[in-house]
Amino acid sequence: MLEVVSLSKDFKKHKAVEGVNIFLEKGETVGLLGPNGAGKSTIISMISSLISPSEGDVRLHNDSILKHPQMLRKVLGVVPQEIALYNDLTARENLEFFGKIHRLRGKALKDKIADILDQIGLKERQNDVVKTFSGGMKRRLNIGVALLHDPEILIMDEPTVGIDPQSRNYILEQVKRLNREKNMTILYTSHYMEEVEFLCDRIYIMDKGHIIASGTKDEIKSILSAESTILIKLERSSDAFVDRLKEIAYLKTVTSQDKEVTVVVPKEVHPFNQIFQIADETGATIVTIDRKTATLEDVFLHLTGRALRD
Amino acid sequence: MKGILFAKLKLFLRKPWLFVIMTGVCVMFAFFTSQGEVNKIPIPYSVVGDSEEMDRIVDELKGAEAFQFQEMTEEQLKEYVSEGERQSGLILMPDDFRIMISSNTGTTSLLQQVVGKAYSDMKYKKAVEEAALSEGIPSAEVSGWFHEAETAPVFSIKEASFKGDDTFVYDPKLQSLFGFSLFFVIYTIAFNVSTILNEKNEGVWDRIILSPTRKWEMYAGNLVHSFILGYVQLALIFFVFRYITDVNFYGNFTTVLLLLVPYVFTIVSLSMLITGIVKKVQHFSAVIPIVAVSMAMIGGAFWPLEIVKSPILLGISKVVPITYGMEALKGATINGWGTEQLMLPVSVLILMGVLMMGIGINFMERRHV
Repeated sequence: MLEVVSLSKDFKKHKAVEGVNIFLEKGETVGLLGPNGAGKSTIISMISSLISPSEGDVRLHNDSILKHPQMLRKVLGVVPQEIALYNDLTARENLEFFGKIHRLRGKALKDKIADILDQIGLKERQNDVVKTFSGGMKRRLNIGVALLHDPEILIMDEPTVGIDPQSRNYILEQVKRLNREKNMTILYTSHYMEEVEFLCDRIYIMDKGHIIASGTKDEIKSILSAESTILIKLERSSDAFVDRLKEIAYLKTVTSQDKEVTVVVPKEVHPFNQIFQIADETGATIVTIDRKTATLEDVFLHLTGRALRD
Repeated sequence: MKGILFAKLKLFLRKPWLFVIMTGVCVMFAFFTSQGEVNKIPIPYSVVGDSEEMDRIVDELKGAEAFQFQEMTEEQLKEYVSEGERQSGLILMPDDFRIMISSNTGTTSLLQQVVGKAYSDMKYKKAVEEAALSEGIPSAEVSGWFHEAETAPVFSIKEASFKGDDTFVYDPKLQSLFGFSLFFVIYTIAFNVSTILNEKNEGVWDRIILSPTRKWEMYAGNLVHSFILGYVQLALIFFVFRYITDVNFYGNFTTVLLLLVPYVFTIVSLSMLITGIVKKVQHFSAVIPIVAVSMAMIGGAFWPLEIVKSPILLGISKVVPITYGMEALKGATINGWGTEQLMLPVSVLILMGVLMMGIGINFMERRHV
């Protein structure tokens, strides 16, 4: 349905996106994951035809939208990361304004607004000015505005940032419902792995402007299926303990943060006895030790690294 | 476009305070600076003797345009003049007057003329009253004749003269009114145009781009709204001065209202240009006062350009919209210009407006905020 082909974007000398290929089939929910500055928002802007790519193409039903952006805009709804609303207008006035610019008029507009207000749970507060809303209510209205013209494809750029768990859960359920009941195709970006795991059929992971992994949830997790992670919690941090673990050849990676030590080992290796022995020798006291299989977050951190990003 | 205009109107009605404050401040500035007597020369005076004639002379003098007379004792007056605190002092006597001066300037001869005229008017009226009294006509009736002759004369005399390039007519009321109005409206217009920057930063602009709304409709909706607000503000201020404080627009009030159209258009375009150049609303807020104040100073909003002698400043004033706004408004009123003469400043304003609008929108489109 929607295809991103070898998309690149340069900002002067900086390559924000390079050679990205993404496809979305009708009715799919696809996740786009990546740390800050990975290029997710730039890709979304290019898909939405808000900025033009330096190279590559975006195709809708095999037609280039670079040449005919209006074709895509008719079927595309975008939920931006920012709260793109008029703060001094009421929820209803915002919906009326954005409905009118989508050429909705009269009864059609009125019915649509009533439907959206119902979907986003703001019927009771429809006549209140947006600036009096909580973060969650604003986010819900932000999504509601993108649904006014019944889009076939919905792009959601981190739609749950900075809101309470109740609002977040409500939004996730609504996204799931849109996909299930209206067969809406959704491209969803988020920092929250559990959201992507809950919603998405397929996932793209990108970093530094490149797609570094893609596939179904299971395919992505299988990247770390040959390994498992051991989490060790100490009574107090111990450099000697960590240094001794690092000397063991078959432990693939050993990282520590304060009193927690994370060890990645091949799945067939069982190093618990040796770990307890080293703890005994170095005087470290183990509070808990836990072996777990790879999660999406593990894969994400494995692929993008644990170092802090700007 | 209608949808955008309607939303902007709603937003304005929710927050009209900037508009109201700007209009109020402009009215106050224009009113007080034109009413003040800062241009009058203070002249201390002392009266010797006490009679009805002396009161008449003092009343006559207080109506003088060029001087502000301040009564004091003769000793105080001499002290003021001898210490140079006042250029001249005036001692009024029943049949004569004396002018004391600390230095001989052009003021002395003007003062002599004004006071001499007040004495001769008084003597003339006194002679007529005495003659009427001898005929048995009461002086109150004679006073009524004088009043009638002054308020509704049989003949009205209009003075006209050919003006050379070097002469200029100064009307402090219109100078203040036009100057402050054209200056303050820059803020009203600019801060309305700058909402485009806010909308870009908040993502609202992108949201509208993704709708079937065309780009020209987006710009037109925003710019027409700013134009209307700016125009309404100026018209409102001019209506206040025309119908409440009774300022003389020399019979050309409608022309003045028409001449505001090209000026407001140019300021909308200027604001668009600045919006296109700066990257953030904070930058815009910092730039606008600098641009507005310097344009007002150079363009003759605070004082008439005719008193500026620097060829550099006069050269710069040729590229400032306020110069042509003031020129058109003063031309239509004080200078009594015809349509042909008014076409020059109007054409320059329109040309500036078109250029700045084109460049501003171009800059804006090149950059994705």
